Amino acid sequence: MEALLNDIPWGIIAPILIIQLILVVVALIDLVRVLHTNGPKWVWAIVIVLVNIMGPIVYFIFGRKNE
Amino acid sequence: MRDLIVLFQKEWRENTRNFKILWIPLVFIFFGLSEPLTSYYLPQILNAVGNIPEEAMFAFPEFTPSQVLMATMGQYQFIGMLVLILGFMGTISRERKNGTGTLLYVRPISYVSYFLSKWKVVGIIALASVWLGLLTSWYYTGQLFGSIPATDFLAFAGTYSVWILFVVTIVLAMSAWLPTGGAASLSLVLVLFVQIVDSLLGTYWTISPWKVSTYATQWLTGSPDTSDFWWSIGVTILAIVALVVFGVSMSKRNASKTKV
Repeated sequence: MEALLNDIPWGIIAPILIIQLILVVVALIDLVRVLHTNGPKWVWAIVIVLVNIMGPIVYFIFGRKNE
Repeated sequence: MRDLIVLFQKEWRENTRNFKILWIPLVFIFFGLSEPLTSYYLPQILNAVGNIPEEAMFAFPEFTPSQVLMATMGQYQFIGMLVLILGFMGTISRERKNGTGTLLYVRPISYVSYFLSKWKVVGIIALASVWLGLLTSWYYTGQLFGSIPATDFLAFAGTYSVWILFVVTIVLAMSAWLPTGGAASLSLVLVLFVQIVDSLLGTYWTISPWKVSTYATQWLTGSPDTSDFWWSIGVTILAIVALVVFGVSMSKRNASKTKV
């Protein structure tokens, strides 16, 4: 397992992970600041953190209420 | 002119506050990155997760650099279009629904400035996202597979930009005409469904806005038929102008439907 982890070229993969992290953080900041969402906030928090890449996107499209 | 600047600033501020200016470019960059990477590491990924029997022998396809860039565009043609349509479906219709429209329409603004201010902001965000994503993909493809000449890339991305502007104009015009749900469904039909129809039946004609993305990819492997290419670009630009005119008149006609 450790050898496998060392084989991964982290330098090349890093940008993808960083973009995912930024999306999750921005979505969470927005979730905290916004007054109402479509559906309970804690469900959205779980979706944003657990669903890979699509979680934040789905939140921004369907979770936000623009008022 | 003055109200165009003010409305542009208002629109820009709104898109900063709802983070569209941040997350839409990030999504396009993400797919621009992941496409070359997954193509490159496909054998290793399959080994790690695929449960392939030891004795199975696979001839993994050798991707050419232009194929990888085309695959990135393929992702944009589906997921990218979904993000643009769903992200901007409510640009005008939502303002009528939540009352922002009422605050705007009581003022003596021209509907040309009103529509164009939105068209410019959405167009800038969409084009910047696509270009950032394609540039990332181009760079990574160059590192992992082999370089693509800059002139080919610019011709490809430039042609694709015309298609992106066409999509953005469709979404805004539909949003001016219909409520948010209707605007989204009709835009999805016009962008995704018509494109499938065009690729199935489209051998009978060569000039159509839905063929612009195909012509864009042809710049990577050679060059498209010049007359077909320029006619399609011309028709697409005419369609964009027509849709803008339609959008302006519809936002004027529907102004009375705003919620007070």
